[in-house]
Amino acid sequence: MLNVFQKLFSKLSVENIKIELMRTAYGTEETVLSRLDPRMLIVWSLFFTTVPWFIHNMTILIGLAVLMGVLAYMARVSPLLIVLLIIGVISQFTYLIFVALFLGGTFTALLAVIPLTIKIMIISLSSMAVFTSMDPEKFSDALLSFGVPGKFSFGVSYGYRMLPILIEEYQSIIQSFRLRGKMPAKKGILYWRYIVYFLKISVLAFYPMMLNTAKRTRTTVEALEIRGFSYSEENDLAKKLKLKALKMNKYDYQFVAITSVITICIINIGMFYPL
Amino acid sequence: MISINSVSFRYPGSENWVLKEASVDIEQGEFTAIIGGNGAGKSTLCKTLNGLIPSYYVGDFEGTVMVDGLNAATTSVAVLSEKVAYVYQDFENQLVRPTVLDEAIFSPLNFGYPDYMERGREALRILGLSHLEKEHIWQLSGGQKHLVALAGALSLQPEILIIDEPVAQLDPAHATELYDKLKMLNEEYNKTIIVIEHHTEFIANYCSSVIMMEQGSVLWKKPVKYGLSLVEELMDKNIHPPQVTQAMFQLKREQKPKLFPITVQEAKAEIQGKYEILPGPHLFSSQVSQVKGVETISMDGVDYGYKTITRKRKPIINELSLTCYEGEKIALVGSNGAGKSTLLKMISGLVKPQGGSMLVNGQSTSKLSMEQLAEKVAYIYQNPEEMFIEDSIYKDIDYFLKARKIADRREFIEEIIQRFHLEELRERDGRLLSGGQQRRASLAIGIAMKPSIVLLDEPTASLDIATRKDMMKMLNNLNGFVKTAIVATHDMELVAEWASRVIVLKGGIILDDTTPHTLFSNPALLREASLVAPQIVTLSKEVNMYPAAITTEEFLSRVKQVGVGGGSVECVSKAL
Repeated sequence: MLNVFQKLFSKLSVENIKIELMRTAYGTEETVLSRLDPRMLIVWSLFFTTVPWFIHNMTILIGLAVLMGVLAYMARVSPLLIVLLIIGVISQFTYLIFVALFLGGTFTALLAVIPLTIKIMIISLSSMAVFTSMDPEKFSDALLSFGVPGKFSFGVSYGYRMLPILIEEYQSIIQSFRLRGKMPAKKGILYWRYIVYFLKISVLAFYPMMLNTAKRTRTTVEALEIRGFSYSEENDLAKKLKLKALKMNKYDYQFVAITSVITICIINIGMFYPL
Repeated sequence: MISINSVSFRYPGSENWVLKEASVDIEQGEFTAIIGGNGAGKSTLCKTLNGLIPSYYVGDFEGTVMVDGLNAATTSVAVLSEKVAYVYQDFENQLVRPTVLDEAIFSPLNFGYPDYMERGREALRILGLSHLEKEHIWQLSGGQKHLVALAGALSLQPEILIIDEPVAQLDPAHATELYDKLKMLNEEYNKTIIVIEHHTEFIANYCSSVIMMEQGSVLWKKPVKYGLSLVEELMDKNIHPPQVTQAMFQLKREQKPKLFPITVQEAKAEIQGKYEILPGPHLFSSQVSQVKGVETISMDGVDYGYKTITRKRKPIINELSLTCYEGEKIALVGSNGAGKSTLLKMISGLVKPQGGSMLVNGQSTSKLSMEQLAEKVAYIYQNPEEMFIEDSIYKDIDYFLKARKIADRREFIEEIIQRFHLEELRERDGRLLSGGQQRRASLAIGIAMKPSIVLLDEPTASLDIATRKDMMKMLNNLNGFVKTAIVATHDMELVAEWASRVIVLKGGIILDDTTPHTLFSNPALLREASLVAPQIVTLSKEVNMYPAAITTEEFLSRVKQVGVGGGSVECVSKAL
C-alpha cells in the first residue's frame, strides 16, 4: 500500500501536473469527440449535466455513468483527472461514514448518498470528456456564436494561452525562494514543519508572479491594439468570418443520434428493471 | 514613405520630453537601423509611426508624422497598423493565440479580410514556418517564437516593418538567419524595414542607412558606412562599432581617414599588402593547462529529459560526463535547445539527473535538497525578474543570509552593494529597474550567497554595450569570490574575452571540450554547433593570421604596418 502511494506521489511532480493540465486544456489528440462541432458538444454536455438531477432511478443512473465512462475513455481523459475524481469520491464516502457513525446513524444512511455520488460522477465524466476534446479556440468560437461578447470569448482563449506561462513563472519563483531559503532543520510530527515551509513559499510566490505578469501585459495590450483587436470589436466582420468555419456535419448528427439512442435504451431498461 | 518633422512628445504629467524635435525621413524600400543609448527615445519614435503615440498614449504631442501620405497623429491606429507592423523586443508577450496558425491569421481576421487564412499561411511560408503551423506556441524555442511574431506582423502585408532588437535572445546562427529573412523581405518584397539594434556588426552587413538618436532627438541619419565610421562619436555614446572598424580605427589612427571598413571583406582589402601579420602563440600553448586544481563538479553519464504534451519523453541531456575544477572559467555554448540551461539547472539541483551520477563538491545532488545545494552553488536566472522575491534590492540580497540567521550581516551586505554599484538602487523594487540594473542586482544576490560555484544563464543577453562591458568587468572580478564559474551564453565575444575553457554542446552531448582559441579556429565545429565566431576571428582568418586572433586587442598586437617599426601599433594596443 505504501509503495502504491509512493509511486503515485512520484508522478505528482509539477512537470507532470503541468503536462496533464495542458493536455486537458488543449485537446491535442485526434479522438472520436475532437472532430465534433463545439456548439453541439456544449449543448450536449449541458443536457447531461442537468438531466441526472431529475432522475431517481438507480438503473438509469448507473447506465448513464457507464456511458459517460466509455465516452471519457474514448476522449482519452487524463489519468490525473480520473485519479483526482476517484480520490474525491472515496474521501467523500469516508467522511460521510464518519459523520453517520458519529451522529449515531446507521450504514443505511450511506445508501442514500450513493445516488448523489453517481450523479456527480456522470456530470464530472461528461464535462471532462467534452473539455478534453475541445481546444480553447473551438470553445471560444462556440461561445461567440452563442452571443457571448467578443472580449469574453477572447479572454477565455487568452487564458489558455497564458496558463503554461503562468505555471512556469510560478514554478521558477518557487525555486527562487527555495534556492535562497532554508528548510527547517527538523521535520516535526507528520512533517508539519516542512508542510508549513512549503505552504508559506507557495503563498508568497504568488505576489512576484502577479507583478511580473502585470508588467508583461503592457506589451500585450499594445500588441492587441495594433493587431486590430479593438477594431474587430467594433466591426462584425471578424465574427462573421470566424463563425463561418463552424458547421454541423454528418458526423455530428451521427454522434447525437447514437448517444440519444443509447440514452433512450438506458432509460427504457431502467423503467422495466429499476434497482 | 515616412516623414517625421520636428516631433516632440511627453507623457502626461511628466516634465521630461521623451522626444524632442525629432526629424527624419525614411524612403520606401530602405533598410535602416536606429541606434542610441538607453532612454534615447528609439522605441518611442517608432511608436509614433503606427499611431500608438499620440492616439493610444495620450500626452503632449507636437510636430507632424506622415506615413505613406497619411498624418499619423490624426489617423486611427487600426488604419496605420495595416501599413506599419511592429515586432516588440519582448515579442513573447505579443503572441496571444495558442497555435502558430492562429497567431498568423489573428490580424487579418480582426481586420475582416475574407482571405485571412491565405494571408496567414503566406506569411508562414515566407518565413519558412509552414511545417510548424499546428504547433503550440508555448512549446516553440525562442527563435521560432520570434519568427512567429514576425509572421503575425507580416500577415497584414504591411509596407513598413519595425523590429525592436531582433536578435537579443537568439543564438548567433539563428540571429543571422533572422537578418537574412529581413533582407529577403526588403529585397524581394520591397518592404521598408526599421530595426532598433545594438549589434553594429549586423547593421554593417544588412542595413543601408543608420539613424543616431540621443535624448529624444535625431542627431543624424547617414548611409551606413559613413555612420559607422564615426568611431569616436559612437564610442562616446556607448555604441560599439563593428570589431573590424574598431581595429582599423586603431591601426589608422595617425592618418585619420573619413571612412573605415565596416565589414570583414572591406577590412581585408585594406590590410592585405599594407600590413604584416606577426605570428601568434602556438595554439597548443594556450590549451587547458595540464595541472588541474581540486575537482568541484563531476558528472558521469548524466541523463535528463522531459515529457511533452503527447507524453513522449524528450531527451535533453544524453549520458553526459564532465569534470570541472577549481579556478576554471567555463563557457557553455551551443544553439538554442542544446541543453545549456538544463545542465546549469542540474548542477544547481533545480532538476535532478534521471540517470548517471552528479557530484558537487563530492556530494551527490540527488541526496541534497535545493536549499542545501544553494549553500555552495549560486544559480543566476536568465530572467532576472524571477529572482526578485522581495520588494527591495537590499531585502533581496539579505534573504539568503537572513534565512540562515547570520550575525553581523549588515556590513557584508553593504560591501556587496558597493561592489556592484547598487547604492542608489538599494531601496528600489527589482522589477522596476532597467535591464542592465536588473542583471547587476541579480548577480549581487547570487554572490551574497558566498557560493563556491556560480552558474550564470545568459548574463549578457539583451544588454546594451555599456552595461555589457560593466557585466564583463564584474565577471572578471569573480575570482577570489568563487572557485568555479560557469556561464551559458550565445555571446561569442564574451567567450573570447572571458572563458578559460569552452564546452560545446549539441543535442545534449558534448561536441568538444576546448579553449576559445581552438574553438574559433575550427570552422567545422562552429558550423556543427551553429555558432558564429566574433568578427575579428573571421578577419584574422581572411588575412591569413594563424592561429586566429580572438579579441581586437590580440589582433592589433599582431599586425604591423609594412615598412614601419612595430612601435606605434604596440603602443596603440596597449592604450586599448
